[in-house]
Amino acid sequence: MGSTGILVTLIVVTIALTTVLLMRPSITAGTTGKILAFVALCVLPALCIEAGMSTHMQRSEQTQFCISCHSMTTHGQSLYVDDPTYLAAQHFQNHRVSPDMACYACHTDYTIYGPFKDKLQGVKRIYIQYLSTPPAVIHINGGYSNLQCLHCHAGARNFEENPVHRPMMDSLTSNQVSCISSGCHDTVHNASGLAHLKMWRPGQ
Amino acid sequence: MKFGGLGIRTFIRIASGLIILGAVVELVSLRWVHPLAFVLFAFVAVSLIGLGILIYLASLVLAVSTAGENGRNAKAGN
Repeated sequence: MGSTGILVTLIVVTIALTTVLLMRPSITAGTTGKILAFVALCVLPALCIEAGMSTHMQRSEQTQFCISCHSMTTHGQSLYVDDPTYLAAQHFQNHRVSPDMACYACHTDYTIYGPFKDKLQGVKRIYIQYLSTPPAVIHINGGYSNLQCLHCHAGARNFEENPVHRPMMDSLTSNQVSCISSGCHDTVHNASGLAHLKMWRPGQ
Repeated sequence: MKFGGLGIRTFIRIASGLIILGAVVELVSLRWVHPLAFVLFAFVAVSLIGLGILIYLASLVLAVSTAGENGRNAKAGN
């Protein structure tokens, strides 16, 4: 049984015990009833919230979660472009990031509160998606930081010994020269220009 | 064991109802992987379950305080 199965079981047990209290609140008059009420109305619901939050946080890191939004559909398609110059596609197709967490791997900031900040940003984007007008071209607030690239690439031999990277290492780590907008790795998603591109189909 | 005309059993019924509702919403939110499922859980299910827990805990405090009051009244009567 996976973690979702355990959570579903926990929720069902909570519903069953709470229904007993809803139908017969008089049982709380005795000591056993008081213990039951404490477990069913405090301990189990708190566990349901905690486990549910953990499950939803994990799910929100999945590629499937991110591209299920209409405005992210083309970004999801861009992961399958059959062209090695497409940065996101290259990382996704060659498993440089986990394919199940491809968006999260490159778009979280890897700080202690990073996942929570990501969720807050995500809620803001849900608001824009459903209650406002999404922009035609999506930009990242504050631009894309090199630190997200360096989280994996820093210390890697083929990155640090690369003759292009080596002389500009300080500029890269201090974010003075951007990895993706300084003319080096500038084709990332190109989500608006996918119509005529050849797509990679896994297994073919 | 009364507060403002509401007995502890009424509080427990309200708390149970809210927790059941929140738990059902949480079950529904687990059915699909989508940003709206996250919103449904984080804003609706957590609010309902959290409110249910708070009402139950409030009922304990109120029940104890009114029970103490009853005890003091009984002593004063003696």
